Amino acid sequence: MDLENTKAQMRKGILEYCILSVLSRNSCYASDIIRELKEARVIVVEGTLYPLLTRQKNAGLLSYRWEESQQGPPRKYYELTAEGREYLADLDRSWEELVESVNLIRSK
Amino acid sequence: MDKTIKINLGGTLFQIDEDAYKMLRDYLQAIDRKFRNAPGGNETIEDIEFRIAEIFQSQKGTAGVISKENVEAMISVVGKPEDFDQEGGGANAYDHYSVRKKLYRNPDDRVIGGVCGGIGAFAETDPVWFRILFIVFAFGFGLGLFVYLALWIALPLADSPSRKREMYGNSANQLRSQDGELIPRYETTSRIGNATNEVFRALGKVLFIIVRTILIILGTALVLTGFMALLTFIMVFVFEYPGAFSTNIEGVNLSYLPDFLNYVVSPAAAPWIKGLITLVVSIPFLAMIYGGIRLIFWFRARDGYVWLATLVIWVMSIAALSIITFNEGVGFAENEKTTSTEYFSTVPDTLYIVTGKKLSDLNAENEISIPDNEYRVMIDDDKKEVYVRTRLMINPDEGNSASVEIKRRSSGRNRLDAIENAERLQYGLNISGKKLILDEFCTIPPDSRWSFDELWVTVNMPEGTIIFMDRTAESMFHSWHDDDFVTDSKNRFWVMTEDGLDYLEPDN
Repeated sequence: MDLENTKAQMRKGILEYCILSVLSRNSCYASDIIRELKEARVIVVEGTLYPLLTRQKNAGLLSYRWEESQQGPPRKYYELTAEGREYLADLDRSWEELVESVNLIRSK
Repeated sequence: MDKTIKINLGGTLFQIDEDAYKMLRDYLQAIDRKFRNAPGGNETIEDIEFRIAEIFQSQKGTAGVISKENVEAMISVVGKPEDFDQEGGGANAYDHYSVRKKLYRNPDDRVIGGVCGGIGAFAETDPVWFRILFIVFAFGFGLGLFVYLALWIALPLADSPSRKREMYGNSANQLRSQDGELIPRYETTSRIGNATNEVFRALGKVLFIIVRTILIILGTALVLTGFMALLTFIMVFVFEYPGAFSTNIEGVNLSYLPDFLNYVVSPAAAPWIKGLITLVVSIPFLAMIYGGIRLIFWFRARDGYVWLATLVIWVMSIAALSIITFNEGVGFAENEKTTSTEYFSTVPDTLYIVTGKKLSDLNAENEISIPDNEYRVMIDDDKKEVYVRTRLMINPDEGNSASVEIKRRSSGRNRLDAIENAERLQYGLNISGKKLILDEFCTIPPDSRWSFDELWVTVNMPEGTIIFMDRTAESMFHSWHDDDFVTDSKNRFWVMTEDGLDYLEPDN
């Protein structure tokens, strides 16, 4: 078994869940999401986030709008779509189930 | 500072040192390679470029030049493409999962249909060996050809990236060529193998055209046959157009079979039987037409499930039809005869056999006849009556009496049932002096189903009796007796001899 591979797979699903969770509170610029994820030590490098955002947007979970910035290029502000909210609600439930299941197994 | 370069990044212009520029360029190329072929990849690349521009802007202020240190700092924040995978942001989900290998036809390495190329990719071997193998087996018994054709039809073409991934196996087993195409890892084994492949490719083109031509001819034949057969079935079964099954020709007349069915089976079963027969007959013809069209136009369709479902429906229809038919058949399990005899009060020296009711007088157009008119059934759909033609026998009587015997035979669920069925046959026969008046047919009353009913009339006359038959009676007689009597004698007189009826020589 490749430990790094297993870790990466575990993180992948969680990371998507985390992005949606951050966006569920309010619409954000990519840097805001990165900051929160970095604080929570879910990611280390920013580049991880961009392909995920693109994928979630293409899946219809997110939408974005352009906003001018005082410094530098215009920014994309992401927000959850209705579909994204449903998806997140689903993930919330399954996350709780997962935690419960894992704890149940580990506490034995 | 040696040299600076102007670049445009995310819509913003930057001045950048030459060594920093090289570093940035390599980094951007790595990003580009990583995401280019992923869905939505260009957007991701663009997003990252915007972010890099933003980082540079915040680092340098507006006047400065981007240095190597700036680029390094930026890379440590954004991360290297390799790191994205570690954190679960891989461009492509497939990169992580091992793919279960599948056999496909290989569009990248094909001679005829890509079958050998696909097997080669599956076995990670140069396909040339499989090509040689197929050629060798094609010369022995032609087996190779059939197997190849079967595989060509059965194997799907690896026409999408995910299918190619499945065809080549894990990403470890494949390389990306310059333009991002997946290429197999194996290399052509030898120069000879390479040359052989070229020869096969040329041969393959010729063979491909030949095979396609054969398939198109085959497909056309299938479509035409299926269409004609289906048309015939519909004409006969639905529109009752006799066509080749005309009543006029001698032989089985099938065109009224659907009507006749109503009288053979119980009323509840009739629509089911008709529906099921339609399914059982038309499904193979439709399949033929569809299969033919596919052969002609050679398109791929994801119709595996449709074929399977159709096959299941067809088999189930056959099964259901068999069960119903068997159930109906039980009603004909036994057959039984009843006989009744009437005697002439005085033995006539000349007997006149005259027909009472004739088939030709009936208002029954629907006729089913079994070869040579031996058994004829007519149906009157208005009166819901079925008529069965009577057979006439004339035998010498051993004693010295004259009698007429009526034998009725029917089938039924059991013997009693069969006897009841036989007795329901209505038949008109009348003796008056020298005249015997008999009907040409017996009648099955309405609301009673046909059950292999037959009726014979046997006339027993002492030797020497002269017998006259009218035309219809004679035809009844002839139809039963398969011998060499003159069909149409000018004078319709016969004489009873020891051996049976004989033609009476006209008196000169």
